[in-house]
Order: sequence, then C-alpha cells, then structure tokens
Amino acid sequence: METILSVKQLTGGYSPRRPVLHDLNFELKAGEMVGLIGLNGAGKSTTIKHILGLMNPHQGQIKVAGVTLNESPQQYRSAFAYVPETPVLFDEMTVEEHLRLSGMAYNVPSGDYEEQASKLLEQYQMVPKRKAFSSHLSKGMKQKVMIMSALLASPPLYIIDEPFLGLDPLGIRSLLDQLVEVKRGGAAILMSSHILSTVEAYCDRYIVMHQGRIAAQGDLEDVRRAAGLDAGSGTLEDAFYKLVSGGAS
Amino acid sequence: MLPANYDLAALWRGRAKDFRNEIKPYIRYMAMSGFPSFLSLIFIASAIGYFTLLRDVPPDFPIVLIGVLVLMPVLCWSPMRTYLAGADVVYLMPREYEMGPYLRSSFQRTTVKSVLLAAVVMLLYMPIYRQVGTGSGIEWLVFAAIVIKGANAAGGWQERKLAWNNMRLLLRSVRWLLTGLTLAVWLTSAPWQAMLFTLLCAGLATLCYRLPQRHRFPWERLIAEETVTRRRYYAFFGLFIDVPVLPSSIRRRAYLSWILPRIPFAHRYTFNYLFSATLFRSEIGGILIRILMLGALVNYMVADAASLLGWVTAFVYGLFGIVFSLQLGGLRSVHRYSVWKHVYPLPDDKQTEQLIQVDRLALAAGLLLLWVPAAVPLLLKGIIAPPVVMLVGALAYLAIRPMRLRRKIKSDADED
Repeated sequence: METILSVKQLTGGYSPRRPVLHDLNFELKAGEMVGLIGLNGAGKSTTIKHILGLMNPHQGQIKVAGVTLNESPQQYRSAFAYVPETPVLFDEMTVEEHLRLSGMAYNVPSGDYEEQASKLLEQYQMVPKRKAFSSHLSKGMKQKVMIMSALLASPPLYIIDEPFLGLDPLGIRSLLDQLVEVKRGGAAILMSSHILSTVEAYCDRYIVMHQGRIAAQGDLEDVRRAAGLDAGSGTLEDAFYKLVSGGAS
Repeated sequence: MLPANYDLAALWRGRAKDFRNEIKPYIRYMAMSGFPSFLSLIFIASAIGYFTLLRDVPPDFPIVLIGVLVLMPVLCWSPMRTYLAGADVVYLMPREYEMGPYLRSSFQRTTVKSVLLAAVVMLLYMPIYRQVGTGSGIEWLVFAAIVIKGANAAGGWQERKLAWNNMRLLLRSVRWLLTGLTLAVWLTSAPWQAMLFTLLCAGLATLCYRLPQRHRFPWERLIAEETVTRRRYYAFFGLFIDVPVLPSSIRRRAYLSWILPRIPFAHRYTFNYLFSATLFRSEIGGILIRILMLGALVNYMVADAASLLGWVTAFVYGLFGIVFSLQLGGLRSVHRYSVWKHVYPLPDDKQTEQLIQVDRLALAAGLLLLWVPAAVPLLLKGIIAPPVVMLVGALAYLAIRPMRLRRKIKSDADED
C-alpha cells in the first residue's frame, strides 16, 4: 500500500535547546486509520504541528504524499486536511461560506462542491445554521464546521486532533461513519483522541506517546506486548495505563 | 470569588488605572508616529473653515439640519466603561446586589466625558446659530441640551437592561429619532412648544422602555460593550504598532456582502473571498464606512463653500483619502497569525497578490466615493483644476499602493 505520511527520526519542539519530541518514527499507509494517544503534554499536538508545517523539526524528515514541505509546499499542503483540537473559524464567515472557502482552497470542482456541501450540511444537521456566523455557534457546531470543511476537501490524508470534544452523539456517529467511508475510499487518517474505547474500535493501528517519545506502536497486540500484557488479554485502555504509568514490564 | 469586604468602587478605580497603564506604551508609539501632526493639520484646516464660515454665514445656511446632524450624535451617545470581563460572571456576579457603587463610578466617569464632548460641539454650534437661527434662544437651547443628554443617558441604561437584542436596537433607533425630532423642534419653534414636544417624547420613550422584558443586571451586555470598547482602542493603536489581537466584532452588512457569492468559485480567488468577507463584515469595514460617510459630508460642505477656488476641498479630500487608506491597511494584519494561512494549499505570494487585489479595489472604491461629493459641487460651479488634481492624485496613489503594501507584507513576514 502507498505510504501517505512518513515521519522519520523527528526531533522537535519550541526551542532547539529543549526538544519536546524525541526521535519519532512512524508511517501511515493509504486506507488506514491510526490513533495517536497519550496523556496531556505527551507531545501529540506538537507532533501534529510538525506534520502541518507550523513548526520546523530540529532533526528528521516528514513527507506527505511523497514530498517534504520544502520540496513542494503546494503538493504537501494539498495532500491533507486538518481538524484542530479547538475549532479555528473565521468570525466574519457563515457556516456555508466556510465550506465554500474550503472548497476553493482545496480546488474542489464547482459541481462536486455544491453536492458535497449540501450532503454534509444534512448529515451534520447544520442546514438550519448554514447562514449563521461562526461566532454564534456552540462549540460542538464549530467543531462540525471544521469536520465538514475537512471532509469536503477529500484529501489523501486527514489529521484530526481530538475530534469528539463538544460533539453531540449524532455528530460523533456521523463523523465515525464518514471516517470509515473515506478510509474505504483509500484515505489515511491520523486521529488523536482521549476516548480510548472509540480509538480501539475504529483504528487499525495505534501510536502511544509518552513524554515526547513513542512508547508503543502497531496493532492492539503490539501495544499489549509493549505494555507487558499477555497476548489477547486487556483492552487498549489497560495497555495504555500500563505504558504511561510506568507499569510496563 | 472576591472577599466580602472588598470595596467594589475601589475595584472599578483599580481596573480603570490598570487599563490606563496597559495603553500607555501604545499612546507613546502613537505620539511618535506623526499622527499628532496629522491631527494638528486637520485641526488647523477645520479651524480655518470654521472661522471663515463664522465671519460670513450664508443666509441660506441649513442651520437646523446641521444642528440636528452635529448635536444628535453627541447628545445620544451614552457610553459606559465598566471594565467588566467574562470572568466576572464567576467572580463578581455573587456580589451583584452590591454592584451599585461600581456602576455609579462607571456611569459618572464616562458620562462626564460625553457631556464635555457635547459641550464643545454646542460651543462651536452656538455662534453660528446666534447669527441665522430662528428657534428658541441660546439659554433655552442649553437647557434643552442638558435635559436631552440626561434623558439619553437614562435611556441608554434602560436599553442595556433589555433582554432581547432586536428590541434594544429598535429602542435605540427610536431614542435617536426622538432626539433628532426634539432638537429640530427646539431649533425651529418657541420654547413652550418645544418643551411640550419634549415632554411628549419623554412620555413615549418611558412607555416604550417599560414594555419589554428586562434583566435586573445586564452582565452579558456590559461585558460585550466593554469588549467592543477595548477592541476599538486596540484597532486604533494597531495602526501604529503591533497590538494583542482581540476577537473582532462582526456585522452581516448585507448591503456589501451580496458581493461575496459573486466572487468566482475558484482556487485562485480563495484569499480574495476571505479578505473580502473580512473587509465587509469586520470592524475595519465599519470604520471605513464611517470615514466615508463623514468624509463625503465634509467634502461636500467644503466643496459647496468653494474656499480658495476649491483648493481647500482638494486638501480635505487628500486628508480623508490618507485616513481611509491608513485604516484599510489594517486588513493585512487581520489573518497574519491564522493557522489556515499556513495550512491552506496556496503559496504565500499568491495569498499576498490576492490581498493586494482586494486592497486596491476597496481603495479605488473609497477614493471614488470621496471624490464624487468633493468634485461635483466644484464642477457645477465651473471649477475644474482641483477636481482634476484630486483625481490624478488618487490614480497615482492607486498605482504605487500595491508596491508599498507588498513591501510592508514582506517586512511583516520577515519580522515573524
């Protein structure tokens, strides 16, 4: 399978003297969903910022769709859509204007845009709010706008940071269903979340981060093994607890 | 929560002092920027125009219309600096029943400032009114102004307590309308008639304020107003130096935003779309519209007087053009730190070009809208040279503006 995201020997952080991330190595292939999990401050959001190109690595290399940001900024950025942990919307734009802006930015064909936007507004129960300014939306609705904008772009890679915060149960269900659908369509998804039961149920692989390092990665069996649990025993949460509380053997 | 014995009036004074200290450095930057010299120029030009008018007031001078236009805003305007913040809903709300002294401090200090402003405008207006006015005498007008100002301050407070936004906007419009009508009556009629009309309006306003649902203490409204005031301070200081970015105030402005869906749906117009939305609906757009309205009015009045063969008009047009372009320049900083600026797949130089296109169109529209009221009265009088010079100046500035803006954007990027 084609590699969509490749992170090699990534060391990075806000100051060159105090790196937050240490020697991270992982890959995402087309058609897989990978859960990025860790305690608060483990380095998940910093890792995501490095992938987005908002922070420069101290060492190492990040490739999206086969190119680094420096090699081809346009190709690199066109290849992913991002849903941030805290919704970041333009106060002066309405819900449907955000979708339009996203469609323009990601070069979605005009005909597809109309159809996709209507479908997404329906799916996320946002039709009555399509003319509302983002500043008048609840946190969950803002999150829905972020998610709809990302889905509209249909890129090969989705980077989703804590997507379930503030979402209502129907919104969570719609998002998960759609993530499964885009995954089937060949997209790769890197999803950071604290809801381990959902991550376990939906993700194909997991990356457990602890204190800026990868404490374990792979499928559930690999994580269990790294946590010192017996094969086939314990949930992702059990393994995670052992890994981050220092209980791993 | 605050300790039970904490003096809330002292808290207000402390917050007012903190705010003064907070903006002190920005005032210093503003003072060093040449802005005071610019203000002095405007002051001198206005003083010359004022004394020229005073020396020779035309018999057909629209004294009532001008009286209503200049006095109504300063008598209606009833600001209130409360220095309340979002966190006060948690920490100060439990002492709501003791907020009287806090609000009194707030009300007194801000009312004094707006009364002083009204007094200055009255002082400027009265010498003209004395020459051509036909309504009530000066002493009656002063009395009326004091009564109207007091009634507006009280009305402003009642509006803040209203539970529904639409009702507040409606009653505010009613208050402004009644104030305008009352002023017109005082400026045209005998005092007893004007007094009777004022009492009727006051009665009507009191009745209106009693009808809708009200909050006991309008926490959210006062916090929102304080946020807007702070934002305006920072928008102003932002013209001279980088300031903390505060959430912007948004208006739908359907009369401008109908243009948005007409921007073609194409990748190459992404940032045209974004910056146009920002321009139409943000505080920058609001300020530009106010500058245009004031500029058009002043330009028209100066052009109608045709002082110094129309060259005073050209000077005033230039001043308003500079103020407009300075304010429009703020657009480049609005999304400077937005994450999407980096995440969207659009190269930086394309983003810059699209911003420049929006800036150029808006500047051209603004300069044209200022030019028409300045040039038409002069052209109708057969004065040609100043309107042509204004037009050539505007076109020349439009030609060099993109280069200057590009340089500024690059320098901002280098700083980042």
